[in-house]
Amino acid sequence: MSDLQSLVSELHGAIERKQFEAANELLSRSKRALLMQNALIPTPSTPPQLVALARQVLELGALASIRQTDAQLFTRYYQQLQPFYDLERHAGMPGQSSSEVDFSTSQRSKITGLYLLLLLSMGDSANFHTVLEGLVEEASLKGGRVEDDACIKYPVELERNLMEGSYDKVWRETKSERVPSEDFGLFSNVLVGTIRNEIAGCSEKAYPSLPISNAKNLLFLDSEGAVIEFAKERGWILRDGRIYFPVEPEATARSERDILVASGTVIENALGYARELETIV
Amino acid sequence: MPAERRSLRSNNKPDTSSSANGEKANSNSQSSGVKDKAPTTRAAANKAKSASTKKDAKGASNDNMGEDDQSHMNGSKSTENGVNGSEDVEMGEDTAGAPTSSSNASKDRKSNEKMTVVVPPTKGSRSSGKDKEEDVKMEGAEDGDVENTEPEVDPTTKAIQDIKSNFTLLERAVAHFDPRFTLRVLRSISSMRKHLTPEVLAEVIVETYSASSSTASFLLEALGQANAFENAPASSQMEVDSDKKPIPKETLAEVDAYLSILVQIYLFDQREIQKGVQFSTSLIERLRALNRRTLDSLAARVYFYYSLFFEQIAPLPPSPAAAVTTIRQPLLAALRTAVLRKDVDTQATVMTLLLRNYLSTSHISQADLLISHNPFPVAASNNQIARYMFYLGRIRAIQLQYTEAHSHLIGATRKSPVSQVARGFYQASHKLLVVVELLMGDIPDRAVFRQPALERAMHPYLLLSQAVSVADLDAFLNIVNTHSETFRKDGTYTLILRLRQNVIKTGIRMMSLSYSRISLRDICLRLGLDSEESAEYIVAKAIRDGVIEATLDHEHGFMKSKEVGDIYATREPGEAFHERIRACLALHDESVKAMRFPMNQHRLELKSAQEARERERELAKEIQEGDMDDEDAGGDFDAI
Repeated sequence: MSDLQSLVSELHGAIERKQFEAANELLSRSKRALLMQNALIPTPSTPPQLVALARQVLELGALASIRQTDAQLFTRYYQQLQPFYDLERHAGMPGQSSSEVDFSTSQRSKITGLYLLLLLSMGDSANFHTVLEGLVEEASLKGGRVEDDACIKYPVELERNLMEGSYDKVWRETKSERVPSEDFGLFSNVLVGTIRNEIAGCSEKAYPSLPISNAKNLLFLDSEGAVIEFAKERGWILRDGRIYFPVEPEATARSERDILVASGTVIENALGYARELETIV
Repeated sequence: MPAERRSLRSNNKPDTSSSANGEKANSNSQSSGVKDKAPTTRAAANKAKSASTKKDAKGASNDNMGEDDQSHMNGSKSTENGVNGSEDVEMGEDTAGAPTSSSNASKDRKSNEKMTVVVPPTKGSRSSGKDKEEDVKMEGAEDGDVENTEPEVDPTTKAIQDIKSNFTLLERAVAHFDPRFTLRVLRSISSMRKHLTPEVLAEVIVETYSASSSTASFLLEALGQANAFENAPASSQMEVDSDKKPIPKETLAEVDAYLSILVQIYLFDQREIQKGVQFSTSLIERLRALNRRTLDSLAARVYFYYSLFFEQIAPLPPSPAAAVTTIRQPLLAALRTAVLRKDVDTQATVMTLLLRNYLSTSHISQADLLISHNPFPVAASNNQIARYMFYLGRIRAIQLQYTEAHSHLIGATRKSPVSQVARGFYQASHKLLVVVELLMGDIPDRAVFRQPALERAMHPYLLLSQAVSVADLDAFLNIVNTHSETFRKDGTYTLILRLRQNVIKTGIRMMSLSYSRISLRDICLRLGLDSEESAEYIVAKAIRDGVIEATLDHEHGFMKSKEVGDIYATREPGEAFHERIRACLALHDESVKAMRFPMNQHRLELKSAQEARERERELAKEIQEGDMDDEDAGGDFDAI
């Protein structure tokens, strides 16, 4: 137990100093220690101090993995933390006597917020909402809102703005001073990339053409040079200081093909009806 | 017995089949299983019934009783005589009380069936004797149902009679392997529920089991009537002695399960949750050991109450450590067993219970995994399908798969029973459906809100859809705030929060339709957005998502709508038409599938076809012979 305690404090230091090699080594050692005491998954018989320690180890592991931008490892840590957080959720229920486990050191909202942000940056909105649903339910039982928690509020607002299309808000949110903690800042680049692609996709459809200087502002790029580079990547045509978006293939040609396809389906459908009628009558 | 049976059939034979193929038919039904025999004799009995008068019917049943006597010769004679004597009296009463010949004939038919269907001789005759007794009682009970309003019918005796008459149905279900009888028994529970008392149940148990039976003591203990056997009044003790004890009759496992369900219901109605939890847990253990397909629908019901009990105990569901989580393991085990045994009823029930369980603690991903790994049985009962679709719709809505959610919820609302009892489900599924429709960008039909069953409960949702349809963002936020409690309670709050973007989209669409050109500033003002830039991005997104047909002009800051094309020039009407036809065809297929055909009917048809052929052949032969005769005669005539 004391062994584990020292391991945890060492781990803390290693992650603070960004010595990830050492941290990884420490992590595997402490996880082994947890396994020996059968505390990797909390059971009713696990001593409360050990539960708190195990949770700390896993949380530190999650933070270390996110700083090394290892999404898979982070997801694994998040899943492993779930039973611990379930305990915490249970203790947080109104009318529950406080359990012996110490939750003051828990970084639950931070880890959950990071996980939400990860899902958002990966575009996995189904899972995002699945996780969120649980949180909302829990918050409303306590009589609060999910948005009361800064770490949760951040991804939730981001998602809402993304879905709505207020990309300028997302852009502003990813600016440093709005981010709740530096770990959240790690996702900013990914998110900006995401919205830039979204905006580009929208612009192709919405504008016939756009001056390069305006495009710079729209796409949140730093210089016109960056705009030109970005335009080349997407295959846009640059002429006279304007961007011309590639028009879709000629409408007439498309409609002709449409008719061909359409008549095919019409014939197919009619034959289908005839066959069905035959079987019925 | 077998000799008797054969003679019985051979008597009937001339009725059903011509003598030529009679032997064949007989050997056929002899060689094939027990089930085959019932229809042939039933047909015989049917024909006999049409011919026989009331008196005949009585005579026939007397004949059967004679058989009873014979077969019990090797048993203890005196007691059997007593039983038969009492039966005789009851028979007489019955024929006097219910003078319709049809009921009599049908009873006759039933007893006939029993005679031939049940194979082990002693048990068979025993149960047939009992069957008749129960039949009488059942008819009495049905009469009682009719005269339910009359005060003189003692509810206790009536309840006892009801329960006992259900035993007959269960026995019949086992004998015929027909789940419909079991379902009938389960349906009767709701009407019986009010009359359940420990005394009623104890009396039934005492009369059904012998004192040493472990099932009886198990049931009685749960009722708190452990010493019911000693307490039984002397007179009934006598009856018990004479009736049951000498032959320790095996009670059917179905009867055990049925009584257990009644005990469960009683405990639940009395809010004796803790007791119910214990009782159900040990009951599940007992049931798992049995592997009988006729037990399936009863077992499913047992699991249902089992889970219901657990939902009521201490750490209540929203907490992740709730008591319900402890039954996931047994339920999953039950699901596995049910799948392996092809036990559709239990499988469907346990699936919905598990989904409910997971959703109650908002473990949505687990629920999703359960669905993805377990196909839901198609043959499940309607109510289970409705429940399953509701949960599925909810999960899909949370996962943003609105189209899928919509179709599931439509199914749930349509399959939901509209009776008073299931109103909660009806409302809940409609609420969810309305929200999902709004999320899909549709405005729900006004008629939905006008149904009397829904009107009050759906009022907040009506306001919501009005706000969305006029694209009034302020009003929308207002409604969400004022009714947030209701929405949270209904579990639709998170879904409703997602509606904000839909309100905006609707607004943009309306503006795009009404103006050929509008400045971004105006859009921003009208929608109550924060900035012009936001408005520009939002409109751009709407264009990309195909909500509107328009272009943006960044330099001058306006949105220019495109000419709206003729919808009838597109493929859309054709697709809609195709969709509808497909729905109609699917409906037709479903109804064909849902038709029920009597078992082994085709054999009868085959036989009658064979008969016809036989007759034809004979006719042909006769004609031939006749021709010959004619020729002969003609020849003779010629010769003269």
